Amino acid sequence: MKTIKNIGQFTLFCAEHAFKGGKIFWGWIFFLVFLASMGLFTYIEQWRKGMVTTGLSDQVSWGLYVANFTYLVGVAAAAVMLVVPAYIFHHKEAKRVVILGEALAVAACVMAILFVSVDMGRPDRIWHFTPFLGKFNWPSSLLTWDVIVLTGYLLINLCLPGYILYHDYYDSKADQRIINGVALLSMFWAISIHTITAFLFVSNTARPFWHSALSAPRFLASAFTSGPAFIIMTFALLHKVKIFHIGWNIINLLAIIVSIAMQINLVMLVAELFTELYNAGAHSASAQYLFLGLKGYHNLVPIIWTGILLNLGAAILLMVKKTRENHKILFLACAMAVVGVWIEKGPGFVIPGYIPTPIGEIFEYAPTQVEVQVSLGILAIGGLIFTLMLKTLIPLKAHELGTNTSSHG
Amino acid sequence: MSRWGMVIDLEKCNGCEACAAACQAECNQPPVGESEARMGRKISWLKISEELTGKFPDLHRRMIPQPCMQCDDPPCVRVCPVHATYLGEGGIVAQIYQRCIGCRFCMAACPYTVKYFNWYNYAGGLPAAEQEAMNPEVSPRPRGVVEKCTFCHHRLLLAKDQARLQGNDPARAVYHPACEEACPAKAIYFGDLDDSTTEVARLAQSHRASRLMEDLGTNPKVYYLARKENHG
Repeated sequence: MKTIKNIGQFTLFCAEHAFKGGKIFWGWIFFLVFLASMGLFTYIEQWRKGMVTTGLSDQVSWGLYVANFTYLVGVAAAAVMLVVPAYIFHHKEAKRVVILGEALAVAACVMAILFVSVDMGRPDRIWHFTPFLGKFNWPSSLLTWDVIVLTGYLLINLCLPGYILYHDYYDSKADQRIINGVALLSMFWAISIHTITAFLFVSNTARPFWHSALSAPRFLASAFTSGPAFIIMTFALLHKVKIFHIGWNIINLLAIIVSIAMQINLVMLVAELFTELYNAGAHSASAQYLFLGLKGYHNLVPIIWTGILLNLGAAILLMVKKTRENHKILFLACAMAVVGVWIEKGPGFVIPGYIPTPIGEIFEYAPTQVEVQVSLGILAIGGLIFTLMLKTLIPLKAHELGTNTSSHG
Repeated sequence: MSRWGMVIDLEKCNGCEACAAACQAECNQPPVGESEARMGRKISWLKISEELTGKFPDLHRRMIPQPCMQCDDPPCVRVCPVHATYLGEGGIVAQIYQRCIGCRFCMAACPYTVKYFNWYNYAGGLPAAEQEAMNPEVSPRPRGVVEKCTFCHHRLLLAKDQARLQGNDPARAVYHPACEEACPAKAIYFGDLDDSTTEVARLAQSHRASRLMEDLGTNPKVYYLARKENHG
């Protein structure tokens, strides 16, 4: 009984702090709510008229929605880059901020699930996906695996911080064994969500662009680039507006992680380019379409090279110690990495898999306004979740502020 | 138990597309109009690809009619998250329209791009006259689900009923799909691949026979007969 009352009080405290803020905060919330409602109304339009409102076709049957889904699963997985130093290596500063990483994982998971949902031709039948109620083709279909691991990852990232914060709030002792166990589980789980998302594509043997053993490792490398890069950007902003003191130590640690992951990612890109293009046969038609254009079709060529240049630029800025430790340039490099990786593993990975089709048809794809607006709406929903979670977490962690203000940023 | 298969003789095929037209009429595939067809939203369970080889003036043009290959090891069945597509009786790959959630994973998995998505609501949106022109044996598909060639499975069911009425064994019933019937060049053969007395079984063993993308291990039950060039 007492526990229920305690949980109620704890929830109330969180809700109270989630909606406390000044002009900038409410302006930001208003902006996000505007985008989210625009997305919602556009989606109602899509629901009424069907998938015909998208730019998809029988030949290119997945587009912007699945591209965003793929990318966001990577962002969610990247929370592990804070979980490992915090819970496994007991890095002091990582421990203070790990919860913000987990909040990002929650927001990214919700967005990823929403992106798959809006991509369905019959969203009213989404319950067919539920085990036992529907007819779940597990373990054969990789999509069922994805449903399981994404929901599981969402739950882990809600429960672990929830458990710790609840005990923090009441100054009671959290069971360290539970924390370590769940943290260890979440570590493997993070890797698995992204590997399984890659396998979703790899399992299509007839599409050589996806059917590559390098797909999954490359997904991981790019996830550990874009996720921590986004976390750095958030941390830098929080630090700047003095809402929450982060400490540059942890930001610098993350910057090194981004730098290494980006270099690995680029090495894999070169390996892929060489394999596909040195002796370009029928199997490399998709890669040719993506990087060079094929038979006069080249919609993606300028986009992918923009992405590659952004990644390359970010890698150089992050490799040089002088630029990496300049916080303004670091912010710029991270923004470049976030956008570059989105291009490379979102549209740059999903769409060319379909062009040309295995029997040689070429139909190009461009998203419609409906797809763009719905996507913006979902990103705004993710932004809302992340913002409100940060607003809740920061006062909970605020009592540590006084004891730890050795700022040098 | 039969294992239904098809053999298409590309040397006999004259590219008239009667098979595709018959297929559309038989299985209630709606005309989508030119602009949608250009977008890649044409529903034609039997599609016809054009293959050009050589250079003008030595140009060779060949039409390849492509129904669902009815794979014995179909990739689309493996990836469907809700068991909406399955390997049914007689080795026919079937789609359950009421279970399909429209995720289009099977379309990504199919090497032959012969799974089609319902972009429009034809089932409910047709004028009365066109409704009456529909084949009552084949159910119309709702919007938002994937559909595909069924090897005219409804005709198999009819043949079985016929056999029962005549007191014959329904398991030995024989039927013919619409495309085979319509072909004026008699380029399409259909029958039981496991019955060695059928023409189809004999032709499938022919040295001229091959299947599309055999290296993928999908084991299609549609065979093509092509000219065997003698390079010796």
